Amino acid sequence: MNSQELLYIIVIPICWLLFSRLRNFRSRQVLLLLMSYFLYSSWGLGFLGILVLGSLLNYWLGLCLRRKPSPARLWLGIVANITMLIALKYLPAIMPLLRRKSIGTFANIASPVGISFWTLQALSYLFDLYRGEDLEPSLLEFLLYMAFWPTVLSGPICRLSTLLSQFRKTSKPLTDDVQCGLDRISIGLLMTALGQILASGVHPGQGLDAIFDEFPSGLTGPDVWCVVIGYGFELFLNFAGYSHIVIGAARLFAIHLDENFDRPYFATSPSEFWTRWHMSLSFWIRDYLFLPIAMLRPGKWWRSFSLVVSMVVFGFWHKASLLFFVWGLYHGLLLVLHRQWQELRRRMNWRFSRVIIEPASWSITFGAICLGWVFFRVGTFSQALTMLRAAVSLVTYSGHVLPRSLYLVVVTVVVAYFGTVSAGLLRRGHGRVLAIPQELRFALYAAAVYVGVLHTAQTQAFIYSKF
Amino acid sequence: MNRLLQHARCALGLVIFILVLELCARIDDFLTYGAPFWGTYNDQILYMRDNIGKWGRPGARYKEWQLNSLGYRGPELRPGGVRIVCLGASETFGLYETPGEEYPRELERKLNEEAGRELFQVVNAAYAGETIGTATHRLRKIVEQVHPSYAVIYPSVATYVSLPPTTEATAAGDPGGTEPKQPENHFEWRTGGRLRSLLKEALPDVVQTRLREWQTKELERQYAVMDRISEENVIRFQGDLTKLVRALRDQGVEPVLVTHATAFAKNSADWDRNLLLTWRKFYPMLKENGFIDMEKRMNDAIRNVAAGKHVLLIDAANEIPPGRMYFADFSHFTSAGAEVMARCLADGLRPLINSQLREEAFER
Repeated sequence: MNSQELLYIIVIPICWLLFSRLRNFRSRQVLLLLMSYFLYSSWGLGFLGILVLGSLLNYWLGLCLRRKPSPARLWLGIVANITMLIALKYLPAIMPLLRRKSIGTFANIASPVGISFWTLQALSYLFDLYRGEDLEPSLLEFLLYMAFWPTVLSGPICRLSTLLSQFRKTSKPLTDDVQCGLDRISIGLLMTALGQILASGVHPGQGLDAIFDEFPSGLTGPDVWCVVIGYGFELFLNFAGYSHIVIGAARLFAIHLDENFDRPYFATSPSEFWTRWHMSLSFWIRDYLFLPIAMLRPGKWWRSFSLVVSMVVFGFWHKASLLFFVWGLYHGLLLVLHRQWQELRRRMNWRFSRVIIEPASWSITFGAICLGWVFFRVGTFSQALTMLRAAVSLVTYSGHVLPRSLYLVVVTVVVAYFGTVSAGLLRRGHGRVLAIPQELRFALYAAAVYVGVLHTAQTQAFIYSKF
Repeated sequence: MNRLLQHARCALGLVIFILVLELCARIDDFLTYGAPFWGTYNDQILYMRDNIGKWGRPGARYKEWQLNSLGYRGPELRPGGVRIVCLGASETFGLYETPGEEYPRELERKLNEEAGRELFQVVNAAYAGETIGTATHRLRKIVEQVHPSYAVIYPSVATYVSLPPTTEATAAGDPGGTEPKQPENHFEWRTGGRLRSLLKEALPDVVQTRLREWQTKELERQYAVMDRISEENVIRFQGDLTKLVRALRDQGVEPVLVTHATAFAKNSADWDRNLLLTWRKFYPMLKENGFIDMEKRMNDAIRNVAAGKHVLLIDAANEIPPGRMYFADFSHFTSAGAEVMARCLADGLRPLINSQLREEAFER
């Protein structure tokens, strides 16, 4: 645990007590904004300054667009936001590579925490205004929308239309909100702790982090699959766990945030996967990037091109590097291939039994998605190629060099995930909902707090915080 | 009535919450370290006690600290080779280093790397809180068990802030005369310890310093506070160290003295006040500047003994850079610090060891 996390643990209950006593929505908004700014300032006062300036600029751009929604004004907003993002996030990262003295000062700039997330929120506000959505936030509401403490650091990326009405509610948080919030936080803590086990392993130096850092030579096909599936789950447990905590924390204040994950590894096609994984970002890309580009021209090839471009931007949003470019390109091509396959099936009128096609589609999708994580995690392009070569070379499938404990942990997590989610789906299908007595609920909260907070003095850093 | 019931259920929930936290901590300790589920589990299970003080319980383990069958931290002794015993206190025993990276282990690795074979064995015969007096009294037993050729003495000088019993008084208590005392078994909240370490990690330095200042002020009321330790304490330290050196030579072991290194720079402007206050918490009777003064005077005393008794001196106090990279607190090493200390010792010991090896080769 670090100082910031401790600050959140102290500040949230105090603010919740104050919040639940306030009846006027303006006072509540002021409280939430002060709390958000206070918590954000713990990452650096300069960062807070940039966030406030960015928010004021976008509010002003929004006012201009509301008065006269013209493409020129929208472009001004897009250019302003993208310039800020490039200057504060991408230039400091690529400066050491360019070695240009004239712009070398950028290398020393620290990127404000969560800038990639709140810039997209600002852009979605401008796009929605341009499209004629009836959004009239006060300055206070807009500042809160940009700085709202649960989402400002790593999303989910919200839309103003979702939050505005909730910011104006006067009802106090219900017992149901608190219970649901605590449930979500507990689930999130347990998930991140599980992700931590995958990262660090049950024995020191036998986790995924150590494997990626040391990159042992002679990796075999089974090793690569173990690593990529394990990393896919580590990332999922880490990010989905974090999203649970964020959604739960907002729910304590009776604010419902959009979901960010919906059983992504149950997807049976790449396009379905992207409606289930990091949903707030993929829907943003779909609504504000893919659809506007795709609608510029008719034609299948243009549509496919738009898909690839959107996914490359998706990759670059994470980090300006060749590996993330390839990761985005890989997913763009997967989506195009899937569309081609669907069209071919339609044209040829191929019909397959669901018993065959669904498991086959799931296996191919799951395998392809997991293999893609190679580009997301490895340190160099040559490491990625080494792993992919091992995965496709059948002669390497005779043995393994990675420790058995890693295989055991990965298999356990994968089986537990699919088992738990399937059981939940079956129960829901039968109309049964698991009712937990209050006392048992407290016991579960305690277990979650222990596993997620007390067990490891130094918890694993949240992976998405670096994007 | 309904409201009362609701409050009662909340209180019950809170009790359940705390009990489950404790249960989780105990299960975690049991699974990770094989700790007893019900009994006491703290660092005291590493030790046995007699009239002299504490000594290592053979084969004991507390978290990552594991003692061998002789009750010393580290692996079992191998037959043969040149043995070096490290005498000292918690700095030598190792508190913050990754297991296996405390300086005696690092020293052994370095010496063997240079020798090109497993020639040297370094035995860590130190315990947290060990004084020169107790080390002197236990010397016979240590020599019988380890048969060392050299003894590296890295004394913890802070035990002389208030005068410890004289070596003679310590010797009067016969370790064989009484049964070793077992640690007392009493209930302890294991969650509490975890919360404390979590807070230590999370609280910003400024807050921690303020808290320590407040704690120190509270403790100051119970003691007569000194600006510096009296000369009598330094003389006693020097006397005890001389006796230990003599006792070692009497047993045929060549002593090596090492000055005491700390996290504090020579320039007072660079002192880490938070660390200084942490140190003071253990000895509230001495003002903060008094610790730096004590270190200087005690290290001079070590140098005097080394010069007077013609003992090899390794000046770790001047060799190890101050600061948090090498020190996890006021005087205990990080893994990086232990590595630097081992390098410093290996460099210092090399001429002595080489000349002995040459003599032995010549005699053969």
